[in-house]
Amino acid sequence: MKYHTRYNLSLYVLLAPFLSGIVILVLIPAALSLALAFTSYDGLSAPGWRGLQNFRQIIDDDLFRRAVANSLVFLALTVPLRTVVTLGLALLLHRSRRGIGLYRAAVYIPTVIPGVAYALIWLWILNPIYGPLNLLLNATGLPAITWLVNPHTALPAIALTALFQLGEGFVVLLAGLQHIPDEYYDSAALDGAGQLALFRHITLPLVMPWLLLVIMRDLIASAQNTFTPALIMTGGGPYYATLFLPLFIYQTAFDRFRFGEGAALTTFLFLGVAALIAVTYRLLGGWGYDDSV
Amino acid sequence: MATERWTMRRTMHYCLMVAAVCISACAPAAMPAVSAEAISFMISGDAAEKAAYAQLVDAFRQRQPQIAVTLIHVPGQSDYRKRLGVDFAAGTPADIVLINYRRYAPFAAKGALEPLGPYLAQSNLISEQDFYAEAIAPFTWNGVLMCIPQNISSLVVYYNRTLFQAAGLNDPQPDWTWNDFLRAAQALTRDTDGDGRVDQYGLGTEVSLFRVAPFIWQNGGDLVDDPLAPTRLTLDTPAAREAIQWFVDLQVKHHVTPGAVAEAAESSESRFLNGRLGMFLNSRRGVPTYRTITSFDWDVAPLPQGNSRAGILHSDAYCIPRVSANKAAAWAFIEFANSAEGQRIIASTGRTVPSLRAVAESPAFLDPGRKPANSRVFLDVIPFMRGVPVMETWVDIEDLAAEELERAYYGQASVDEAIATAIERAQPFFAPPASTPGTQ
Amino acid sequence: MMTRSDRAMRQSLGFHLVAAGITLLFAAPLVWVLAASLRQPGAPPPARIAWLPDPPAWSNYAHIFELLPLGRYMANSLLLAAGAVPLTILIASWAGFAMAQLPARARYALLTLAVVVRMIPITALWLPRFLVIKELHLIDTFAALLVPAWMGSSPLFVLVFYWSFRRMPAALIESARLDGLGALAIWARVAMPLARPATVAVGVLTFVQYWSDFINPLLYLKSETRYTLSVGLRVLQQMDLTSWPLLMAGVVVMLIPVILLFVLAQRAFWIEDQIGGVHGN
Repeated sequence: MKYHTRYNLSLYVLLAPFLSGIVILVLIPAALSLALAFTSYDGLSAPGWRGLQNFRQIIDDDLFRRAVANSLVFLALTVPLRTVVTLGLALLLHRSRRGIGLYRAAVYIPTVIPGVAYALIWLWILNPIYGPLNLLLNATGLPAITWLVNPHTALPAIALTALFQLGEGFVVLLAGLQHIPDEYYDSAALDGAGQLALFRHITLPLVMPWLLLVIMRDLIASAQNTFTPALIMTGGGPYYATLFLPLFIYQTAFDRFRFGEGAALTTFLFLGVAALIAVTYRLLGGWGYDDSV
Repeated sequence: MATERWTMRRTMHYCLMVAAVCISACAPAAMPAVSAEAISFMISGDAAEKAAYAQLVDAFRQRQPQIAVTLIHVPGQSDYRKRLGVDFAAGTPADIVLINYRRYAPFAAKGALEPLGPYLAQSNLISEQDFYAEAIAPFTWNGVLMCIPQNISSLVVYYNRTLFQAAGLNDPQPDWTWNDFLRAAQALTRDTDGDGRVDQYGLGTEVSLFRVAPFIWQNGGDLVDDPLAPTRLTLDTPAAREAIQWFVDLQVKHHVTPGAVAEAAESSESRFLNGRLGMFLNSRRGVPTYRTITSFDWDVAPLPQGNSRAGILHSDAYCIPRVSANKAAAWAFIEFANSAEGQRIIASTGRTVPSLRAVAESPAFLDPGRKPANSRVFLDVIPFMRGVPVMETWVDIEDLAAEELERAYYGQASVDEAIATAIERAQPFFAPPASTPGTQ
Repeated sequence: MMTRSDRAMRQSLGFHLVAAGITLLFAAPLVWVLAASLRQPGAPPPARIAWLPDPPAWSNYAHIFELLPLGRYMANSLLLAAGAVPLTILIASWAGFAMAQLPARARYALLTLAVVVRMIPITALWLPRFLVIKELHLIDTFAALLVPAWMGSSPLFVLVFYWSFRRMPAALIESARLDGLGALAIWARVAMPLARPATVAVGVLTFVQYWSDFINPLLYLKSETRYTLSVGLRVLQQMDLTSWPLLMAGVVVMLIPVILLFVLAQRAFWIEDQIGGVHGN
């Protein structure tokens, strides 16, 4: 018994750096941020208490509503698309065969491209006159789209760029698919089940917990990852078409030096993401998550 | 066991690496504490501008070797402002910062700046009378001079003389009108390679309230109802509206400037630098970079005149944050930078229109052998110069007005719609100010 | 009538076509960027697709190193990323190891914590963290950029180790404990050697994270000599108005080390190795 507790104690010691790091680098700043949300603070003078004033003001702000709408539209566009594409790619590439390494690497490599570089790459590709994408469209007789310049296509353009960085979800789904024993497929095939039935009745249910993990992670990530692309590619324009909530927070806090309002906006973002996750969890019927994952 | 030893060794190796990294990372900048004092000077701008200030710092080092000046360079203007705000919030701003008169109000209002008026009064090297009054006024807050202006620049027309001549146009005359301007722009907008798409535009400009303002003034309108105590935007007066419509028509009606797509594909300034733009509106700021142009001849012309003459002040100033621990040394640098010698150094790089009268009217600035040969236009406009209102929330107002103007400029909204929206959105930012900028 | 081997060959061909098409799709941006980086700066960009500019301006790559001290920025980024990797592996693997063995309630609490932490928007943390770092007098030091390693750089890495260690046969750990080994010794001698794929994966991902880090250097670094490559790229974007080619060259320079690293470490990457694939497909 004594050894047992001593062992557990030593486990906690191993855990200590991580936990202390989280406290100092995340929990304390998050608490500070929450506190700031109730103040007005511009960095030049001491914070002034404003109670719920910040929150009320924000809700009335047109730009805030626009930012929320943009972020929601973006999520609605990217999360389903990314999930479907990632699943499709994982289904295609999960069996080992010749050359599989190359194909998987090709799917993963865009994910390791640093955010700034990735945004600049797409800024070039989507250049309305000289960018390769429009040149390609022209060459094949399709109409060129003005992508980031047009208020109607700017947001979808950024969503498009999000479709290529699928690496993390891809790896997780690969693992999930590989956990499905071959015997299931074999015996179902013997019973005469076609590809679609195999998918619906074997693959999908068994990969569901992994899929949920991927969706959940994607929700969180997509809610925040719009920052660098929007900053580098459009600055929130044209005319606020790509003003997402993270960028809006950044602008409020670091361009206008309204740290209190920025903190309040961040609280909204956090609550919003939490709500989304709760809703998704409900809709998709619980985690299905077990510890063998 | 071999595996066991290897793992142990590996762990130790890790730990040593970690320790080494920690030690090397935690050691602060090994700055040899040889100098008596060390101050930091934060600037923005591109490579040529940076070189200009580096020259200034070198000259100062020779004069006062006991003060070590570290130049902190943040290239982008918006990144510079962000850094400024964050630094102030953290209480660790550089000892000397350059702030534009359009943006210094929040700092002044919150008492974050050390008023430099008293320092100036006691200086043996420079005195307030040496400066242009028009440069000093905007930086006077509640009757006290807060920062020392380094320049009294304004908006001018940079033009590509080679293209002008190729189009059979004479150089712009000092009193050229809006019509002359438009006609020149039209003559210079051409499809040079016959592919049906315009490759050379006559004019390029940023689309912002800051650019439109002088035209509004020239037409007899104004930006706000009372520049000293503004309570609303007055872009809807007939005079202002007419000027804005004329400006927007340059793109929407006459197509002499790049449209949204063309501008996104290649910026106007880039086109100008590569000889594909006839005229570009900018302040003196661009000169150090334009001096690197070798492929064509260029010069500056005054803004075209409307019903009256008006120019718009562009000015930034040296400020010392109140929390600086090295105010005396910082002032020594600022004093030097704004003495005749210091301003000559910066002027010779082309970066500024010196705020010291003596330097501005000397060959250091006016030498026709250095481009732009016609630098005199910067001085000629001084009596007609006006500034935008100095208020804490002016940045917000300018930003949202720019978004609305862009919409009209790129044909996504009518001018009236843009003006109405701008006025409505700007209204909340005109809350009664805590304090107003005073005049001398 | 199609024989079975015919059909198999058709399927195989079909597969390879589709997979190759996807590979091209994902690789296209990189090819385009490389092509764009080799154009002459200043000349009007071509209005038609040119796969490789003629003549290719390799001098662009030299030029960007002259415009900015990119060499130093790269060195800084390398130093940072290389320093972060051992730190992260250490702390994340410790945490994952501990989590994998704690009783269920503690485990779930920690897992929830990891998820919640991941959910906190990074924008929330910039300013307060900045203030914390300033209090620790770490502004303008490498330590400020390394600080995230203190929490294992990302909850994801802790989770990777956690999954990896959970996969390990309990018997192995039991016997080690019976031998009287303490937690640290078990971690070092038993767990880590078996978690090599996870270690490699976390190592690579950590390198990428710090190599790409943009906001932290922007906020915490004042001296230009300390700038990292990501900031350098942003500087390049704002500095040089006229040339996409130069900017693209900078992008390529930033990409190469990371892609190389990934390709080299690839084998250890796929989770089937990591979590100890139960069914070899």
